[in-house]
Amino acid sequence: MRLVWKLLRRHISLPQLAGFFFANLLGMTIVLLSLQFYRDVKPVFSEEDGFIRPDYLILSKRISALSSIGLGSVSTFSEKEMDELSAQPFAKRVGAFTASQYKVSCSMGINGVAQFGTEMFFESVPDAFVDVDLQKWHFSEEDGVVPIILPKTYLAIYNFGFAQSQNLPKLSEGIVGMVEMTISMRGNGLSEYIKGRVIGFSTRLNTILVPESFIRWSNARYAPDADTEPSRIILEVSNPADDAIVNYINAKGYEMEDDKLDAGRMTFFLRLVSGIVMLVGLFISLLSFYILMLSIYLLVEKNTEKMRTLLLIGYSPASVALPYQLLTIGMNALVLLLAIGGLCAVRSIYMGQLLSVFPQMSGGNILPALMLGIVLFALVSLANAYVIRNRINKIWNNKD
Amino acid sequence: MNTINLDNTLPQVFLQRTDIESDIWRKQVTFERGKTYLVEAQSGTGKSSLCSFIIGYRHDYDGSILFDSQLSRSLNAKEWTMLRQRHISLLFQELRLFPELTAMENVEIKNCLTGFKTKQEIERWFEALGIADKMQSPVRLMSFGQQQRVAMIRALVQPFDFLLADEPISHLDEVNSRTMADMMAEEARRQGAGIIITSIGKHMELPYDKILKL
Repeated sequence: MRLVWKLLRRHISLPQLAGFFFANLLGMTIVLLSLQFYRDVKPVFSEEDGFIRPDYLILSKRISALSSIGLGSVSTFSEKEMDELSAQPFAKRVGAFTASQYKVSCSMGINGVAQFGTEMFFESVPDAFVDVDLQKWHFSEEDGVVPIILPKTYLAIYNFGFAQSQNLPKLSEGIVGMVEMTISMRGNGLSEYIKGRVIGFSTRLNTILVPESFIRWSNARYAPDADTEPSRIILEVSNPADDAIVNYINAKGYEMEDDKLDAGRMTFFLRLVSGIVMLVGLFISLLSFYILMLSIYLLVEKNTEKMRTLLLIGYSPASVALPYQLLTIGMNALVLLLAIGGLCAVRSIYMGQLLSVFPQMSGGNILPALMLGIVLFALVSLANAYVIRNRINKIWNNKD
Repeated sequence: MNTINLDNTLPQVFLQRTDIESDIWRKQVTFERGKTYLVEAQSGTGKSSLCSFIIGYRHDYDGSILFDSQLSRSLNAKEWTMLRQRHISLLFQELRLFPELTAMENVEIKNCLTGFKTKQEIERWFEALGIADKMQSPVRLMSFGQQQRVAMIRALVQPFDFLLADEPISHLDEVNSRTMADMMAEEARRQGAGIIITSIGKHMELPYDKILKL
């Protein structure tokens, strides 16, 4: 084998192989990186909301200039409107948002030292609409702890607006869950404290959600006489894409909170851009493959007589093809390893940046990119090996 | 393999010719293992073609060639490879040495495939043929006569049932052709193999069992 290699390595063109090597490395790295980036970034845009299922719609009434000064149509849903909505064929279930009717303020602290406090409010929807373990989503007077679901935007506002400017640590969802909130409630001549705990964040609800049982209990306790007509309702539909829903909502002058739309659009663009970049990478890889094949063809051309002699003195076509096959497979393997190394290096740079913007981001798994790399490697190597063997067979058959 | 049979064989380039008088073309010829044959030929009578047909390098002939009873056309690549490694050794007229390898490497490249001879045995042949001092020289720097001897050694480092030598001594003096003839005969005898030698004039002195005119 050593002697065969000594023979066949003649006429190997280093510049050609180097050209192939770097082109293929570039192509492979771009392909792997585009896939990895897509997978890493996608969760940021398309995070599924764990608490509200996608076939729930949230409706409110349009707030006009008149209604905001107390004139014009009311911004709450009446009993009649709710019944009418329930009667629509697309509606499976209708639930009302119930707001707290008393004064609420809340302070958050670590180790008993209050860090900051704010005035706020609570809302609830019927428990059936909240997709969370009922053990956790439950309030009783004896426990004295209220589970809370916050909008994800609150965390973002804190992390990027507040924490950044105040030199406070950025918080992940997990950490917030560990922080205890002290909630003060005033009304009906009472002023009492209760503990609260954030059990999760929702991208779909623009409210501070607590269990229905808590709202019922607290409204009865601190604001027994208040009117509790809902200003927003939650609607479960059988098919969210049904045109009848949009038509009905428009006819009634309601508004649908559709925060999914932007994320969907972003995901689409992300996919488009990643796809284009990946195509460019594949194209470069393809060109490099072409360079390698040309180089091998030239090499075989120049060494044809030697190879023929090897065949005539008893070397099998497979053993004559093997040195060039090993050469290409070895180079492909090196390209794969370097591309994976490059991928990890670049990824650690952009993940660092992404994590500073989205602290709760977990990032995608690197495995699919690895698999893609290995598949590409296998495909290219098989194609190389096949083409080389094919050339040798032509020499064997005196058809070159 | 005990016989090579030529059954009505004729190179396709001769198909139009009607004046062929030959002991081989268009005849039934059997080469038997253990016997020594001389094929005498004029230039252009298809001597090298005959070797190419037998070794499977070319197939542009009419009729058939059979190894024992197997049609050579029916062999696949693997069988041809085995045949060239184990059953038929050919000393090419154009030698087909590798110019960039040394004399020794040219022999080793074959011997490492068959593992048939030890390094010492090969060195002894180099000495016997008077080219021991050239063992490590690149073949391209050697004369044709010296290269013929290297090619001879390469043809002998394999097991064979038949040894085909296409004009093996065209560029050798009396002494060296005598030595080479002895070496070939001895190796063939040891293996019980047949020898087929072609010649266009000068030929090796061997006890030929049969002399055929091509």
